[in-house]
Amino acid sequence: MSGYWSGIITLLSINVVFAYGIYLAVATGQLNLGGAGFQALGAYAAAWLCAEQGWPIWATLGASAVVAGGIGFAFAFPILRLKGVYLVLGTFAFAEVVAGVIINSDALGGAMGLPVPEFIDWNVPAIAAVCVALFCFYLMSTRLGLAVRAVHDDDVVCDLLGVDVRLVRVALFALGAALAGFAGGLYAHAYTYVEVQTFNASLSIYVLLYVLLGGAQTAWGPLAGAAFFTLLPELLRNTLPAMKSGLYALFGAEGSMSPPDESWRFVALGVVTVLMMVFRSEGLITRTMVERISHPFRSTRKEAL
Amino acid sequence: MAEPLLSVENLSIAFGGLKVINDVSFDLEQGGRLALIGPNGAGKTTIFNLLSGVYRQDTGHIRLGGEVIDDVPSRKRIGYGMARSFQNIRLMPHLSVVENVMMGQHARPDRPGRLLAPLSIFGRSRARAEAEALLAEMGVEVAPGQDVSTLPYGIRKKIELVRALAARPRLLLLDEPAAGLNETETGELMAFLDRISDSGVTLLVVEHDMALVRSLCDRAVVLNFGQKIYDGSTADVQKDPLVLEAYLGPRHAGESAKEAENVA
Amino acid sequence: MLLIQQIVNGLMLGSVYVTVAVAFTLTISILNFLNFTIPTLFMVAGMVGWGLAFFGLPFGLGGPLPWPLALAAGIAVAVACSLIVERFTFRYMKMKHGDSTEHAIPLVSSLGFLLILENLVRISYGSDAQRFPGPGADLTANIGGIFVRVPQLVSFVLVIGLILGLVWVINATRTGRGLRAIAENPDAAALLGVEPNRVVPIVFMLTGMLCGLAGALFAVNYGEVSPQMGEDIGSKAIAGMVVGGLGSLWGAVAGGVIVGLIEMLTIHFFGADTVQAAVWGALLITLLIRPQGLFGHNAIGKGKL
Repeated sequence: MSGYWSGIITLLSINVVFAYGIYLAVATGQLNLGGAGFQALGAYAAAWLCAEQGWPIWATLGASAVVAGGIGFAFAFPILRLKGVYLVLGTFAFAEVVAGVIINSDALGGAMGLPVPEFIDWNVPAIAAVCVALFCFYLMSTRLGLAVRAVHDDDVVCDLLGVDVRLVRVALFALGAALAGFAGGLYAHAYTYVEVQTFNASLSIYVLLYVLLGGAQTAWGPLAGAAFFTLLPELLRNTLPAMKSGLYALFGAEGSMSPPDESWRFVALGVVTVLMMVFRSEGLITRTMVERISHPFRSTRKEAL
Repeated sequence: MAEPLLSVENLSIAFGGLKVINDVSFDLEQGGRLALIGPNGAGKTTIFNLLSGVYRQDTGHIRLGGEVIDDVPSRKRIGYGMARSFQNIRLMPHLSVVENVMMGQHARPDRPGRLLAPLSIFGRSRARAEAEALLAEMGVEVAPGQDVSTLPYGIRKKIELVRALAARPRLLLLDEPAAGLNETETGELMAFLDRISDSGVTLLVVEHDMALVRSLCDRAVVLNFGQKIYDGSTADVQKDPLVLEAYLGPRHAGESAKEAENVA
Repeated sequence: MLLIQQIVNGLMLGSVYVTVAVAFTLTISILNFLNFTIPTLFMVAGMVGWGLAFFGLPFGLGGPLPWPLALAAGIAVAVACSLIVERFTFRYMKMKHGDSTEHAIPLVSSLGFLLILENLVRISYGSDAQRFPGPGADLTANIGGIFVRVPQLVSFVLVIGLILGLVWVINATRTGRGLRAIAENPDAAALLGVEPNRVVPIVFMLTGMLCGLAGALFAVNYGEVSPQMGEDIGSKAIAGMVVGGLGSLWGAVAGGVIVGLIEMLTIHFFGADTVQAAVWGALLITLLIRPQGLFGHNAIGKGKL
């Protein structure tokens, strides 16, 4: 496989795992804007254990999930008392504190970052992404998954129906943190270098947007969101200059165009976000849509009644 | 006489110094149908919130099936056999019809293996089949996979009732079940509630529609400014001078019960 | 003496934070909306001001403008952007049925606008920091051995005047009554004859003005603008707002000053790398111990029961 494609598959796989991590929190109605912090925890755990302790890759990857998940669990208990705006700010602040601690820690290389001696090729992240996606689909199809979605809609009624709202939220937040950390571990080994600047506020924002724009009602959402926003720029990079030069040729003009600047890609993401919030705030893929596709006959027949 | 299913003793709660419920007591026997009525702001919904544990009373006790449930958190009260509906329909808007009903089964004690059962995909399909059966049995004829938010008001109201029934409650608290329904729908609701009651479920109903109250319940408790002012048969409630005063004000208290009926 | 100098610097810096923190507080307390475009508006005013003073009007319509005029235009652009944001975020909030992430819709839209505005500025002016051709930082007054830059002193006084004016508007005018009614209960406000569609844009106009002014003052005082300048200020202002208490105007003022002091004292004692961790740590500790902050009341941002 060419370097180009293996690079894309690696990035896509890491983003999918990361998006599922944030999705599990969002599915219970908790916006987690601290994704970069949990990913950084996982990435640095894997990098440090690999470089300093010489752990094998399978152990460092496992440790990245355990470390981020454990810290996420400890963090979730106090922070999930908060709601709405407070929770968003709390998770955001958490990511900044993680970055602030890492940058001041000599053992973790400070602002210089840490090299990771062990390299993994595209196949490991790809397999991991498939497993994580299957796990999330399974989770959301169980009765626990149903309770998760119900808690998202109305936590007061869920409490009266006997759902332990707090337990559901803490469990899903911690599990999501573990997945985000796992994505960080994959990142560390795939790029063989971690530096804290990678895990900035923008990263937290992007991954939350992947999830919300993909749709948080079903497990299809984060998959669609992460895939769309990882692959779209690649698509644009190749097709846009071709289209543009084609247009120029049509008008008899000579000219080539440089691929679109990174900035345009983010403008596009911003425009899509704003339009989605106006016209389809529940995200690209909704439960009704999945239902209609999987049971086309049943729903049309009954609707006629 | 047998022990009443629900027993409320000297219940009081104050919000910011204002006594919203003041020393209210009443009993409700197994299989009974009791209406809780009173003018707006009398504290009817507050009683429901106290019973279901949304609020904690300042003083007094609540007994369900002989057990004091004062310190039972709201989440666990459904396990004692109490389910409720809400004044404004509170269905989960992004869940389908059948999924909403399945949420009603969540706390049922016959779901085995508390901790891991929710993770089993088989547990879910069984729960789904049962919920669909219950919907059909109660005559809710919509596609089980449909989004609830797109359905008409009357049907959503029914689904909320079915959700409460899915918990197999001994005691069902209904907060204005007929509000916003038209005449046909109210008639259907009556038949629906009759069927529920005949199957042995005890009903406690907050309702404004006096005709419905009289035909559904034999007994009523009337609240005014958080105090119980009447406890007796629904047939005589509109002859009671205190009740008339509560609804019409002191000036009209002597006027005929016929008029009171029109107003209520 | 050096410590006192740092405290004075902290106060001066704090006054910029105060302005932005007040903008955040206005939208949160009145609309229960965490507006992530606020730091971007701050940046837009500074960058557009610089662009006009350096390049002149777009499309060759005119040469470089004198810097006060350029900054005034920058503030106007910030206000215009803020009103565009209002059109696409808040006006659509009421149309969806309620669930626990409903408040997230305008928040996510504002994240989208953050991406759009910041990257458009990058595309127009590049991502580098630029020297702002203001009155320079040389005008320094020596007051009893403490050095204070004159523009800083002027803007400090200006900010105090601005806050007092804002308090007067909110407490004593008809517009202010409308704003308070909406903050109290949007539905009841509509019954009282307050039209949300007329009052809400006022909040955004004030927000744009505050942020634009803060951006202009920052450009003059520190002589440097960059497309990234909003991120840092934004985080400090958010921290100030939370420490002071969400929804309290005076809380935001106190919080902004406290964060300015924390920053300067942290630099003084521990070095520049620890600032981020200290400021966000203060925010996180506030959220965990006293979510309502020093002066706030508990109701805002918690979502409905």
